[in-house]
Amino acid sequence: MKRATEKRPKHPLAGKSMTGADMILQVLADEGVDTIFGYSGGAILPTYDAVFRYNQEHPKKQVRLIVPANEQGACFMAAGYARASGRVGMCIVTSGPGATNCVTPIRDCMADSIPVVLITGQVPRQAIGSDAFQEAPVFSVMSACAKHVFLVSNEKELEATVRTAFAIARSGRPGPVVIDVPKDVQNYLGEFQGDGYLRFRGYEKRQAALSASRVTKESAASFFKMLAHSKRPLIYAGGGVINSNASQELRTFSKRFGIPVVTTLMGIGAMDTSSDLCLNMLGMHGTAYANYAVEDCDFLITVGARFDDRVAGKPAEFAPNARNIAHIDIDAAEIGKVKSVTWAHTGDAKIALQDLLHAGKNFAGDFSPWLRHAQNLKKKHALNYKKTGDLLQPQEIIHQLSKLTKGRAIVTTGVGQHQMWAAQYSEFVEPRTWITSGSMGTMGFGLPAAIGAQCARPDAVVIDIDGDGSLRMNLGELETMTTNDIPVKVLLLNNLGDGMVRQWQNLYFGDRFSGSDKSMHKKDFVKAAEADGFTFARRLTGKSDVNAVLKAFIDHKGPAFLEVMIDPNAHVYPMVGPGLSYKDMITGEYITPRADDETPVHDKTEVPASAMF
Amino acid sequence: MGEVMKHTISVLVENHFGVLARVSGLFSARGYNIDSLCVGETEDTTISRMTVVVQGDDRVLQQIINQLNKLVDVIDVIDLTKDVFIDRELVMIKIGAANSQRSEVIEVASIFRAKTVDLGAAAMTVEVTGSEGKVNAFIDMMRPFGIQELVRTGKVAIARSPK
Repeated sequence: MKRATEKRPKHPLAGKSMTGADMILQVLADEGVDTIFGYSGGAILPTYDAVFRYNQEHPKKQVRLIVPANEQGACFMAAGYARASGRVGMCIVTSGPGATNCVTPIRDCMADSIPVVLITGQVPRQAIGSDAFQEAPVFSVMSACAKHVFLVSNEKELEATVRTAFAIARSGRPGPVVIDVPKDVQNYLGEFQGDGYLRFRGYEKRQAALSASRVTKESAASFFKMLAHSKRPLIYAGGGVINSNASQELRTFSKRFGIPVVTTLMGIGAMDTSSDLCLNMLGMHGTAYANYAVEDCDFLITVGARFDDRVAGKPAEFAPNARNIAHIDIDAAEIGKVKSVTWAHTGDAKIALQDLLHAGKNFAGDFSPWLRHAQNLKKKHALNYKKTGDLLQPQEIIHQLSKLTKGRAIVTTGVGQHQMWAAQYSEFVEPRTWITSGSMGTMGFGLPAAIGAQCARPDAVVIDIDGDGSLRMNLGELETMTTNDIPVKVLLLNNLGDGMVRQWQNLYFGDRFSGSDKSMHKKDFVKAAEADGFTFARRLTGKSDVNAVLKAFIDHKGPAFLEVMIDPNAHVYPMVGPGLSYKDMITGEYITPRADDETPVHDKTEVPASAMF
Repeated sequence: MGEVMKHTISVLVENHFGVLARVSGLFSARGYNIDSLCVGETEDTTISRMTVVVQGDDRVLQQIINQLNKLVDVIDVIDLTKDVFIDRELVMIKIGAANSQRSEVIEVASIFRAKTVDLGAAAMTVEVTGSEGKVNAFIDMMRPFGIQELVRTGKVAIARSPK
């Protein structure tokens, strides 16, 4: 956090008398907020009034207000905005239900390290604790989910609190910060300071240490000794690379030393996915060649990733041939949490990679045989799917769409099979163009996140690749798109059910499709889109003119909706079952497994449900 | 990994609203067991000190320290167990001792340097301060007299000054 002692020009409004709500708006404007996602209500009315007045008084510096159908939508829009831009996403909602509707997105942001600031109205201070109308214990509820929570109980601290919230959200490992502001604090009249932060001595000290953290000469020497001893080094890059804007450094590093890269779901886009050095996603539904490379590598270089259970189902057997594992992370708590490592650096990924690049100027190791091996794996065990039959295959649709957009579209998703297919079959040239709920796995994420991303990047083609289950969860936000003329393209891959749940029920629960079959549901999604004002709302059911329809869909000016009826029996492969290691990976019917490695035949014996997670 | 051990951790925190909830919430959310937790202001009234006694192996302990260090309100985390430290706990025990037994209670209490802090018609209350071992030993000695109620503060601890 910036300290008050720094010499900065005085704020032009310093000393001006204004209400708490006006102070909030002024600090937001100072922090560069250009879009607020939110929903009004009793306890936040003064702040919404301040938004209106701010825009009246600043015709040339408007703060855009996007009102969702449900507060959850607003908060996911703020998250989508943050993910696409790297700036802090802003959401303002009322007390009680407004606030609790945001619990899911706040937890989602925490789990994926996304910087958002959420301001919630609260009942007036004298009513707190009285079970007042629309009162909820926001501080307690959000404490368990957010990076930090403030309840502004002293009106004099309001201004500094809002400023501090932004600093906390974006510093270190980013995350969501919630500010609970009682209505009477919004209404209080006080003097605007234009400066000042709340003090957090420990946090400031730790942030200062992180900012100053460099890879020392000795540490770099030990890293390059490991690299020199290695014949098969592999970079395992995660969302931390995206968060620290270190993609360029990662690409340079990989190219300079000739080391291939696998990325996590959150790390997609850190590398240009079509690059020869990129082996794409690893893990439960990673590519077979990425997972084989992890099995084969003798030095795993982890950058901004955390060995979570979708990557390392069985940590002890993850990267079994790696004699050394290096780990760069901004969060000290991630180092050694799941997997012991032999080299570690706590700090910003961008700076760490720059330091290593510098320290390795004269490194002369040559990994070309290994790189050839990796590229061979990529060719031999490429992704593949059913190419015959009349039914539309989801992988084909995504592949075609990605070709049309040349890998330059921003893609958001819901959660489930469609999310994994989108991760596997889309190309991404740039970081921050793949936007998905990774850790929390929140269905309903795609639609609002796409709206937020489009607000952050009006120039980009934004596509929400969604499933019928996920889309239903926040379907009300279709109308938000047309109301605000947000030209997101919504691609619904409809398989008449919760496909991923069905896949697991097929593999582990004897085909008992409890609660996941939606073939009897009555929803006509195209009519729903038309009712919400979509002028482009179509359905694809057969293989003819797929490409032409996709092209018309992408080229449509304004919001567009396309429902594709896909093969309901398409499964996501490869798959490493939960709690298993990569040697137990199943590749399905269409992907060639490794012949030199006996692939365990997958039998359908039931695994006790207690073994799942 | 190392063996499961009891650790006494001193956590210095900003004396802010809700800090205790955040710290105790962290322990419950991550499934760490707290044996005891004590909190109070320090010599600087803007800083509170929490003394937390937890159990775990080296890895769990390191995680607890790392996770505590992520809380915005936390100023510093010190594992006192790594070095020499002094810990104390206070316990008050209400004993339903008959008149004939009272002198015996007081006698045992004086060996432990415990104090009689309340005397009623049907019961007496004694107070003792000491390390966990001493407090436990005292409780065991009082048990035969008939403990009616017992309250203990949980441990507070401070590092020893270098000699």
